[in-house]
Amino acid sequence: MGILAAVLAAPIPPAEDLPELLISRQLAAAEGLRVGEVVTLTARAPGARSARERRTDGGGRAAGADVAERRFRIAGIYEPAPDPSRLGAARLEARLHLPELLALTADPGDPLGAESVTLVNVALADATAAPAFGRAVAARMPGLLAHATAGPREGVDSFVVLERFHLAIAIVTLVGSTIFLLALMVMLVDERRDTVAILRLIGLRRRRILLQVLFEGLLIAAAGAAFGVLLSIATQGAFNRFFQWRYDTTLVFVRITPRIVQRTVLLAVPFGLGASLLSSWSLVRREILALARR
Amino acid sequence: MRAWAFALRSLLRQPARSGLGILGVTAVGTLLFDMLLLSRGLEVSFRHLLDATGFDVRVMAAELPFAGPRLTRATATAAAIARLPEVAAAVPIAVQRATARTGAGASTPLFLLGAGIGAPRPWVVAEGGDLPAEAGNPPAVMVNRRLAGSLHVRPGDVLMLSGPCGAEPSALPAVPFRIAGVAEFPFEEASQANAGMRLADLRRVCGKDADEADLLLVQSRDGVAASQTVQAIHAAQPELYAFSNAELVAQFEQAGFSYFRQISVVLATVTLFFGFLLITALLTVSVNQRFGEIAAVRALGFSRRRVVADVFCQSAVLVGTGGLLALPAGFALARWLDAILRSLPEIPARLHFFVFQPRALVLHLALMVVTAVLAALYPMRLVARLPIAATLREEVVS
Repeated sequence: MGILAAVLAAPIPPAEDLPELLISRQLAAAEGLRVGEVVTLTARAPGARSARERRTDGGGRAAGADVAERRFRIAGIYEPAPDPSRLGAARLEARLHLPELLALTADPGDPLGAESVTLVNVALADATAAPAFGRAVAARMPGLLAHATAGPREGVDSFVVLERFHLAIAIVTLVGSTIFLLALMVMLVDERRDTVAILRLIGLRRRRILLQVLFEGLLIAAAGAAFGVLLSIATQGAFNRFFQWRYDTTLVFVRITPRIVQRTVLLAVPFGLGASLLSSWSLVRREILALARR
Repeated sequence: MRAWAFALRSLLRQPARSGLGILGVTAVGTLLFDMLLLSRGLEVSFRHLLDATGFDVRVMAAELPFAGPRLTRATATAAAIARLPEVAAAVPIAVQRATARTGAGASTPLFLLGAGIGAPRPWVVAEGGDLPAEAGNPPAVMVNRRLAGSLHVRPGDVLMLSGPCGAEPSALPAVPFRIAGVAEFPFEEASQANAGMRLADLRRVCGKDADEADLLLVQSRDGVAASQTVQAIHAAQPELYAFSNAELVAQFEQAGFSYFRQISVVLATVTLFFGFLLITALLTVSVNQRFGEIAAVRALGFSRRRVVADVFCQSAVLVGTGGLLALPAGFALARWLDAILRSLPEIPARLHFFVFQPRALVLHLALMVVTAVLAALYPMRLVARLPIAATLREEVVS
């Protein structure tokens, strides 16, 4: 509902009955404002000439015939609700009562200016009735659109796309990790070539040795996955603090949920087992004499 | 030269291990290269889009276009700015939503871009002609490929355009336009139908008399820096917001691009560490297995420097080969990742997230060299400190 483009400092009248507003923590920090101080709000951009000046010379650039200014007392400072779509934007915001906002921003030349709002938030008694409510609003008040705030959104969701991107990165990382593990297992198995030869010579069957290697692979993969999960849990706080500091927000960027842990383990362990099997099979399938020969 | 040949032979003796090492470095290098392309890709691509039509300064009534109040007296303001000695051209631009219909009855919603006609134009002609210098009857319109494709129209065809341009329904009659050509609009979305026309014709479609615009596109004279033009506009029109393309890029970088830069830095760091671990582990295990052989060649007269160089050359061959293979793999992966990110809503069709710049290639090679050196340090130390006699004795006894 309009943009309040300027916050102007003003001396504090001692007993004046001023309307109150809340300002965001970021605005308070940026302008050095405190609770109890008086600020002047205007929809006029900084550096712009006043309405009177514009009328005098017939100039004027910003649309709107007249621009109001009004003083408010800061009643409190609030933390804006985290909004991923506004990541990186400075949250220089103020909250005031609707009639006072309309008085500041409405176009005096528009008879409906003081009655127009951008949207109306509705809390339904039954949230599942949102689609029916939307249809009823459209039928009774043509031109109005009612959208549910929960549930799937229309069109392409930015966060679904970002999730796809992160998944693609995860797949590449997984491929790289598997090659790394495969290389390590090849070296591990190769180092134990003599041991495998002796085991075969004393009568252990290929299957028995393969099972042993597989079990080792399982242990390594499980330990690696557990270490990875623990490391993620330990470092998620650092990641969040860094990005929260970087973007001046309370948004949570990294959250290790049980579902993510489950997915990680379900991917890492089979890949680890596969790497063990692949690396050991080439050694175990050889003839005993070929294994024993150095 | 001998050290390189010796290292190559050592690696070829264990093809599976060496192959996996190279593959591992390729995977790591691929991700690293892509993160380097991503780190400045949006910035470069966005700058390219801003520069595409030859305008180097944007003038608005607020800090962001289409988000604040509109410019009033747009034509007079554009003329005043165009008279500044630093300015070659100033073109007012307005954007509105409308509906296009053909004689066959097909219709589609679209964005209308109204522009003050001069040179340069805020679009690039792809097919047919451009808007004529003089207004015609019926007026001329430029359509983008999306609009031409969806309505099956070509240059010379007639298109009926109508509002509503605002929120309220409109009863204005549709205005016939003759399609002069097909154009590419720098910031058009892939699924968006666009049409470009004179500002006066846009007002006619929308039924609006007010001389308003969303922004002014300004071109500086040859030899005048955009920053000088911005200063001149600030001095002449203090209530307007003027930004050079570089300032807009910096502004958008703060707001929207930094996420991808941050994530690319984090992933590149993790990737490099991963590559370092992989090469260190490979070389260390390889050296451990060849202690006897290394001690033997030392006993035969190979200097300590020579065997250390052998380990370093092995690291360089592994990382060098993997790093080079990572380049084509990186380009292929970048295309895939770019396609994913470009499906984000409201992303211009010509904006790319992964953009090649020579700087990324140089940085990629430099980081791979640093990784190769660091990864070789520990195994090189092992080889350098290897006690020859004790190792040979142990080898014989075992």
